[in-house]
Formats: sequence, structure tokens, C-alpha cells
Amino acid sequence: MTPFDLVEPASLKEAIALIDPDDPDVRPIAGGTALMLMMKAGVFRPTRLVSLRRLRNGLSQITSTMDGELKIGAMTPLTAIEHSSEVKRAAPVIARTMRRLANVRVRNVATIGGALAHADPHMDLPPVLIALGASVSIAGISSERSMTVEDLLTGYYETALAKNELITELRIPTQGNSQAVYFKVTAGSVDDWPALGLAAAIVSEGDTVRSVRLVVSAATSKPMRLTAAERALNGQIANEVHLKRVADIAAEEADIIADIRGSASYKRELLRVFTARAVRAAMEPRGAPH
Amino acid sequence: MNFAGDITVVAPRDAVFKALSDAPFFASCIEGVRNLEAIDATHFRAILETRVAYLRFKFKAEVELTQLSPPELIEAKVEGTPFGIVGRLTAITMTRLSETGGQTTIHYSVDATITGKLGSMGQPVLKAKAKDMEKHFTERLVAAFAIGGRGTAH
Amino acid sequence: MKAIKPQVGHQVGRSLPRLEAREKVTGRAEYTHLMQLPGMLQAKILRSTVAHGRIKSIDTTDAKKIPGVFGVYTSDDIQTVIPDPYYGPAFHDQPILAIGKVHFVGEPVAAVLAADPHIAEQATQRIIAEYEELPAIFDEVEAAENKVLVHEELKPAGTFADLKHLKGRKGTNIALDFRLRRGDVDKGFASAAHVFEHTFRTQKVLHLALEPYASIADYREDGVTIYSGAQSPSFVRTEIARLLSWPENRVRVKVPYLGGGYGGKLYIKMEALAVALSMLARRPVKVALTMEEQFYTITKHPSTFRIKSGIDKDGKIIARKCEVWWNGGAYADVGPRLTQKSGFTASGPYDIDNVSIDSYALYTNLTPAGALRGFGIPQLVWAYESHTDMIARALKRDPVDFRKQNLLHDGRPQATGTILKNAAIEKVLDRIAERLNWKKPFDRGQGVVRRGRGLAVALKAVISPTTSVAVVNIAADGSATLYCSTVDMGQGSDTAMAQMVGEVLDMPAESVRVVPRDTDVTPYDMGTLGSRSLFHMGHAVRLAAEEARDKIAALRRELGEPEGSNAPLGDLFRKKYGMQAGNIVGTGIYKPDYIPPDSSGLTTNATPFWMVAGSGVELEVDTETGHVRITRLINVADVGKPINPKIVETQLSGASLMQLGFSMFEKMHVDGGQITNASLADYKIPAIHDVPPVMENMTVDAVQDNGPFGAKGVGELATFGVSPAIANAIDDAIGVRLTELPMTAEAVLRGLYVKNNRPLGDD
Repeated sequence: MTPFDLVEPASLKEAIALIDPDDPDVRPIAGGTALMLMMKAGVFRPTRLVSLRRLRNGLSQITSTMDGELKIGAMTPLTAIEHSSEVKRAAPVIARTMRRLANVRVRNVATIGGALAHADPHMDLPPVLIALGASVSIAGISSERSMTVEDLLTGYYETALAKNELITELRIPTQGNSQAVYFKVTAGSVDDWPALGLAAAIVSEGDTVRSVRLVVSAATSKPMRLTAAERALNGQIANEVHLKRVADIAAEEADIIADIRGSASYKRELLRVFTARAVRAAMEPRGAPH
Repeated sequence: MNFAGDITVVAPRDAVFKALSDAPFFASCIEGVRNLEAIDATHFRAILETRVAYLRFKFKAEVELTQLSPPELIEAKVEGTPFGIVGRLTAITMTRLSETGGQTTIHYSVDATITGKLGSMGQPVLKAKAKDMEKHFTERLVAAFAIGGRGTAH
Repeated sequence: MKAIKPQVGHQVGRSLPRLEAREKVTGRAEYTHLMQLPGMLQAKILRSTVAHGRIKSIDTTDAKKIPGVFGVYTSDDIQTVIPDPYYGPAFHDQPILAIGKVHFVGEPVAAVLAADPHIAEQATQRIIAEYEELPAIFDEVEAAENKVLVHEELKPAGTFADLKHLKGRKGTNIALDFRLRRGDVDKGFASAAHVFEHTFRTQKVLHLALEPYASIADYREDGVTIYSGAQSPSFVRTEIARLLSWPENRVRVKVPYLGGGYGGKLYIKMEALAVALSMLARRPVKVALTMEEQFYTITKHPSTFRIKSGIDKDGKIIARKCEVWWNGGAYADVGPRLTQKSGFTASGPYDIDNVSIDSYALYTNLTPAGALRGFGIPQLVWAYESHTDMIARALKRDPVDFRKQNLLHDGRPQATGTILKNAAIEKVLDRIAERLNWKKPFDRGQGVVRRGRGLAVALKAVISPTTSVAVVNIAADGSATLYCSTVDMGQGSDTAMAQMVGEVLDMPAESVRVVPRDTDVTPYDMGTLGSRSLFHMGHAVRLAAEEARDKIAALRRELGEPEGSNAPLGDLFRKKYGMQAGNIVGTGIYKPDYIPPDSSGLTTNATPFWMVAGSGVELEVDTETGHVRITRLINVADVGKPINPKIVETQLSGASLMQLGFSMFEKMHVDGGQITNASLADYKIPAIHDVPPVMENMTVDAVQDNGPFGAKGVGELATFGVSPAIANAIDDAIGVRLTELPMTAEAVLRGLYVKNNRPLGDD
């Protein structure tokens, strides 16, 4: 590893000012679990890392508002989210997803803001957050804005953030009657990166689907809504005939990438199978274990 | 790493062949190629500088046209080394042209290998980038011939 | 006259916790990777980016300019201190740094020394090496055609007599070919009622010990001290002495605990480079590899095994032909030894009159392959136990009954001609079947999830002949110290040896001090490998303890003590020497008998003991995704009378979990000779969630008559049967037969789709 500068600003404003928007070799670092791997692999050789460590205090709260919206500070470590009773109440799928997310050592150090800014398409939380309709607040040099997680993640390691913008907060809207599930399908060991991730959030009335979000990840260059499959399912009775059709549509609509975890043909089959399984699981009566 | 595909352009085969075997034109269709130098009729040198998000890749490459069989076959060999890190990029490309009506289909295949640290741990990123470049190449090529005649589109 | 009743009770057979357990879990244990010496420089390595090529130039100018760099070295520098810098246990073919040519991607080409390893690493990235690329070969069967040659000439070491005939051999990638001919297979096939032939393949995987390779060399004018995570310190000493043309007693090798070994840390790994660099720098030098670099150091042999069997009308296997191609990578390491020794049992634990075995060690342009827990046997069992099971199913025979009908028993000749003795194969098979409730009906399910069960049994001949020496030193106060060079790499050897000393000397094992490996102190041992230590070093330790005990008894007699007296040793010393001062030293040397195979691979004494084990599996297959979930894994072994049953159980468990990873998902992906998943982020090994919910590990009631206290080794046993047991269970569940490892979910699903006539696409 080549030497680099490590600066530790004390405030958000100071941190943003230290990131040169035109120099890709200057990067903010939160938990650093993903960045370290990129540096070890030699694909990222920074000249300066702007540590956000001292920003923790202001940016790691988990609160739920009166109307059930969940707000999570960007510097909150994943493990805090995993064990938070507010999160469990508002969006239990997140706590369930955490159990197999990386490993406990990574979860203790990685932050939610860092995870989203990293934009690795194999990660487990992004598809879940997109299914939940989550959005982020973003701070820039002189302004703030917000966008959905779906709009934030634009490609392989690519986000809609300007180079000198930082995510400050994650917001998850109240889920109401929506039930969400996430399937992490691994091809190797149980704790491998997934070959396919599938998140589903469904509001159902008996057997009928009132609203649905289906998100595929890991097998694609970024987590993607399966909009054609959603359209085919919305308002329908989720019987086996319909599920098969929806699953086939999902398998065709995604642009699947082959890698060492699976060929494109195989991942397509996984997508077909797990679309149906995810819908079934998301429609199970509340409280049924997934 | 293997890539293969077909690109159909609206142009006769001869014109397409001429265009593809013209190094500056070909290079203009690949994102990130600069400082193209011809050493002789079949040997070229160039810099390939590209990015995936904030990850920068810069290679010094040497290209050899190993076979030129007008109007249908172009084979080339690429050898490159990354700047500042130990490694090696090699690629063998084969392009075959077939014509139907006024259209030419370019059947291409690329067999690329990256060795060194980038090759041992950076494969997922590189594969994503290569796929991206493939898409970009296709778009550029189709656009170049759509303009009419062979353009030096940028 | 009454015999002295043991006061302490038996030490062998105790499930004693490991002696070093507390030290390890409290972080006090010493490992080479963490050691620091004053003035020490750290080495970082520049590695080849070409699979096969001539080195045109190596430009180190820029690297040398980096502040903090002590020096940059290539083979030219190495050769100024070690003129002939080639090493290896079977062939002296591996150069310390590449000379003239590189033979695999990742081969060490140059080294940088600096006090700060980050500076050294930075400097390696500034070295510019230019290669003239040569055609490369990666597949073992293709390599045997000799169209592309890896080496111009073979360089056998001459340390193994049976390799001498290979010296100077040119024009081939075959480093060794072992052949065994028993009876007449062609006649056998001709008269058989059924003939079956299948080909099986295994993939490149590696040891991945948690502690990567590390060696420190401290060279002085009058001697060199090497600290290394090495499984064979005596070999390191001999080999370094040979490279330096020094007498052995000027080379000292010290080995603390190993953070895992599994066969990867045998012979020479980083020791020679560390020594050469220390000689050049005149400072202590540490070569400590990263996890990624392990992928460029040593691996398991990928293999192709074509196996053909002829069965008579009564279901008896009357002929078996085995052809095995071993992918040895760019340097021989111990591959030739593996090719030969595994060849002995390639036909399996079956009583077959006509056997033909051809086993080839091939050079290819990949990371060298060497010893990995099982030493070739798991690859062979993968083939022969899958094949045997397929035959049983094809003949509509019960897989257990078919095996029993053909199994070898004590008193019968094994394929080499050696009569089987103390090999509890049938007991192992019966126990697995019993634990699987084999005779009871088994519900395979009817829905998406199907269930299956399978088993496999295997046989291994231990590497022979090898020598072990031990010394037991009893101080005047009666406390005992054991010196032996067996390396405790987590398998519990120190504890087992202490138990054996305690057994002979009638003292608690905990009171025996086992000295850490140090070739200035601990005598010769061939190496900690191939499950040999318990038997060979166990005998040496026993003999040493017995000699010490006998000397004490002789001293008693000399001093006129009454028979049966157990006056403390201190009293005896005071009587003889006037004070409680001095030592009683006992030495034991053990080398078993062995008859090398003749030109037909036959011998009446192939091995001092047979290793016997098997596994049974129950599993579920998700027929929509191909995922396999092992619900029960049963490992059964014959270890004679276990010295430490608890350690035996953990060795069975650990070996089978290691093999589980190799069976289900591990694979080194190679593209153009480059490993493309050289990191624990992408190359996954089994972790806690991969452990089957039910695992049973047990031994059968048995005795090894010629073993120390009736015991024999256990380390590798539970690697043997895991892979084929799983394949057999998958076949049982869904009628899909996998013949290549790893058995990924995708491979299973593809098999299912092919079976249902709608194969998946190729992309």
C-alpha cells in the first residue's frame, strides 16, 4: 500500500471542504471495511482519506418519528441498526437481513452511510432499503438535498453523489401494512457474497396484491426494481399460475451478469425461483418466520 | 475474461473493414484510448486510461495487428502494463465481418487476461468495466456508420 | 516379587485437554508471523505476471531509489552467495528467485528489503520486469501430451533412490510415472459380464492456514538460525545446509507453534529466500507472506482419474484399471512422492485379482501443488468410491452390500501384494451403515426438496520408510522433558507424545515438558506429515522413555535397591553422585521395515500400517435451485486404540469440514494462468454456518498390533470419504451424478436440467 494522508475533520462542513471534487484519489472513509479491501486489491490508491470518525456523535442516532418514519444517522454502525428495537419494530426485515450480512466484525465497524456510498451491487442492505422505499439526505458544500436509495445507486460502485457530498441520514418511511422479505442466495459457503439477492415488499389483502416492490441485486450491476414483474403482479391474486408468469417476466427483465458465483443462465433460474418464493414469503401472515 | 458479440451497422462490408483496420478510427470507438502512435503498419502504441467510479485504471498498451484478411478478418494482439502497479494485460481480439443486404455484421470476440494484483483481486470491477466498454464500443461504432460513410466520431 | 503398580494410572487413552490450550487462547503462544528480531529487515516479493516466459530484463533502478529501501535483489544476487540455488524434496527444480525463466504467474522474481514492510511493498511495484512470453500449459491431461513443455530438463534430487532414473530426462512434462500391474486386466475385462468406465476430475484448492507462510533467517558467519512455521524442521536444516555447502550443525531451525499447516508448510517454502537475503544483507530477514500470496505458494493437486472396472456375473469386481493424471504445477515439490505413494491404493479397499494402475505427475504452468491433508487419497477416493457406487446402482445392487462383497479383509493381498493387517475396513463400513440406518427405509421426499444418503470407505498406505528420533531427558528431581521434532500445528501432537512418555514413566502427561522444535536440541524427524507422527514418533518416544526407564531400573539395581523399590530418583543420585544433580537420558530411533515396489509396483511390505476411514451423509437437495444441504455427516475411522479420544474426535471433525469445503464450493479460478480469486473475500472456506447440523465422529474398536500402545495416526482420515459420500447421496436423492469437484448448486441444477432434457445455456 502506498502512503496517503489521513485527515480527521471535526465537523461535516470541514469534511466536505477537504474533499476535492475533481480528484478521485481523495475519498471520505467511514468504517473503512470496503475501502480497505479495494486498497489491498490495488484498485484504489488514495492520496488522501478524509476520516469521518469524529462526525460520529452527531450522525449516529436512530429515531422514529410520530408518524412511524425511521431516521438513521449515516455514521450509525450496522450492528447498532441490527440490534435496535426501533428498527425491529418499524422494519423487521432489516434485522433479519443483518444476521447474514458479512460477519459480526464487519458489522461492528461498517456504517450505513458508508455502505450506501460504496455502492457494491452485491451488498444486502440496498435492495432491502429500496423495497422499503427508503431515501437519504445528502449534504453538499453549500446545500442539502435528498433522494431515494433507488436513485442514489446508479451503477457498479457509482452513486448520484457529487464527489464532495456526504450522506447524512437514511430515512425509511412508515411501512404500514407492507411486509418485506429478503432472500440472500449464496452459491458457495453460507457467508459468501450472494449470487443473487431478492427483496420484496408487499401490501396484500388476502390473496390479492395491493402494492408490490421487487428488487434484484448481486446478479446485476446495481440493485434494480423489477418493474415489469411488479406491473404483472400488482392487483393480481398471487396464485401459482400468476406467480409463474411474474417469475418468468422477472427472469427476462433483469440484465444478469455472470461471475465466479454463477453463470448468467443459472442466476436467471435463481431469479425466477426466488421471485416466486419472495412473493409467497412476503404474503405470509404477519409473524410467520422467513 | 471472454467477450463476444455481434454488431450490425448500416454500411457495406468493404467500408466497414477499411474503417476497422484504420487504427485512429478504431481507437476512437474505445473509451479512454489516447496518445495513439503508429510504430509501423501493424504495430501501435497507446495509453488506455479509464475509470470505474473513483477507481482509476491506466495502462500502457502495445497493439499488433496479427492478421488482416480483407474483407472479412482482423486479428489483433494487445499487451499492456498498468502504471504504478505490477501487472499485465493481454488480449487477443478476433473480428469477422459478414454482409447481408447493405448491412454488415461485425462478429467480435475478445479473450483478455489480467495478471498481477489487479488480476488476482480486482476481477469483479474489471469485468464490470469491460462490459461497460463493450457497450460503449457498440454505441460508438453504430453511431459512426449511421452518420453515413465512415466518420471519425468522438 | 511384586511388579510396581502404576501409581498414576494410564496416560494413553485419556481425553486430556491440549497442553498448550491456555497459552493459545490467551494470546501468549508464539507464531513466526508475529516474531521480531532486533535489526530485522522485511522482504516483499515481486512476482511474475506471465505464466511461462523468458526473463528479458529486470530493472530495479527506480525501486532502489525509494527512501527506506535497503536493497533490491534478483537471482543474480542470490547466486553470488548460493551458486546453485535450486531446492525441493523430490526434485531440485525450484529456484529461490526465478532464473532465466518464469514458470507460473506469481512466481517470485525479485525481492526488496526494508525495515518497513510497506516501503518494501511499494518498491516492488516499481520494479520493471520484461518477459518474452512462451506458450503455457494448464491442464494435466494435455500436459501429458508434451506438446508444450514446462521445463527443458528434469532435475531429480537423488535423495529418493527410486527417482534416480529420471535424472537428465528431457522433452517431457511427466515428472514421474508410477505403474502397478497385478494379474491381467485385459483378460479380466474380456471375461467380465459388465464393464464400466468413468472419468472424474478434481479442482485446484489450497490449504489456507490462518497463519500465512513466514520465515526469519539470522545469518552469521559461523551459522544461520532460521525461525519458521515449518512442518519439517529437520528437512529445512538438511536442505539449507546442502544449499550453503555447510555441515548440518551450522544450521539451526526453530519452530514455534504453527497457525495451521495441513501439509502446506512442508519442506522449503520461504526459508531459502530468507537465508539468501540474510546472507546478502548481513541482517536478520523476515519473509512473511500475505493471505493473497498463499495462492502463489503451494496448493492441492487437481486431478483427472479414468477408472474402469470389470464385474463378473456374481457381482465380483475382477479387474480394475486406473489412470491418474496429477496436475503438479510448475515445480515438483513433493508431487512425485504423492504420485507414487497414492498409486499404491488407487484401486481402493477392494479385493481385486487384476489391477493396473498408472499414475502420472505432470508439470504445468500453475502454482506448484504439494502435500495437502490426504496426500492424493481424497482425489482417488472421489473417483473410486463414486465409480463403485455407480456400478452398484447400475447393477441394482445395494451400495453397502456390493461393497461388502468386494471389500478387502485382513489376510488378503492388497493391490500391491502386501497382505492386509489391522485394517478394520468392514467394521468402518458397517458402522457408517448402522449410523445411517441403512437397512431402514429412507424417505426421499416428493416435493421440491428431495433427500438422499450415501457413503464411502477408503484405504491409504502411510508414507514409508521414514525415520523418527526422540530423546527423553529426566532431571535429578524426576521431572521429564521430551525432545522431538514433531511439529504441533494444532493436531495435538505435543499432548499425545506427552501422554506416551507419561504412560511409560508412570507420570501424569501434564508433568512432561515438551520442548519446542529446535534442531540444535530436538533430534531428527522426517517430517510432520501424512498422519505418520503418532506411529513413528510415538514409537521413538516410547523407546526413548523405555530406555530412560530401564536406565533408572539399572541404576536401582546398581545401587542395591530392593526389587520393586520406588525410591525417588533424587535419592538414587545422592547415593551415586553425592548430590541430586544429573540426568538420565533415553534415546529412541524408529524406522519401520519397508520393501520398495518392484518395476510392476508390487511389494510385500508397502506400509507399516494401513489407514482406514469412511464417511456417510444424509442430505437435502432443493430441486429448483440445486442447493445441497447436508443434514447429517458421519465420519468413522480405524485409529487402533486412540491415545487421546477427544483429540481424535476433533481431528476427524476438522478433516471432514476441510474436505467439505473442497467438495462443495472451493475452487481456485484461473484465467490465462492468473488466479482470479486470490483472497478470502472471494475464495470462501467453510465457516460455522457451513457445519452440518448433525455431525458424528467416531472410531471403531480396533488395535494396531505394531503401533505404539496399539495406536496409529488420525490426521487425514476424515478427508477420505466425504466427497464421494456426498456425490453418492445426491445421486440417491435426484438421480444426478456429478463427476467433478466442486459440487456447486449450479452444477447440481445443471445436472438436473440435463436429466430432464432441457439443459441450461452456456453463458
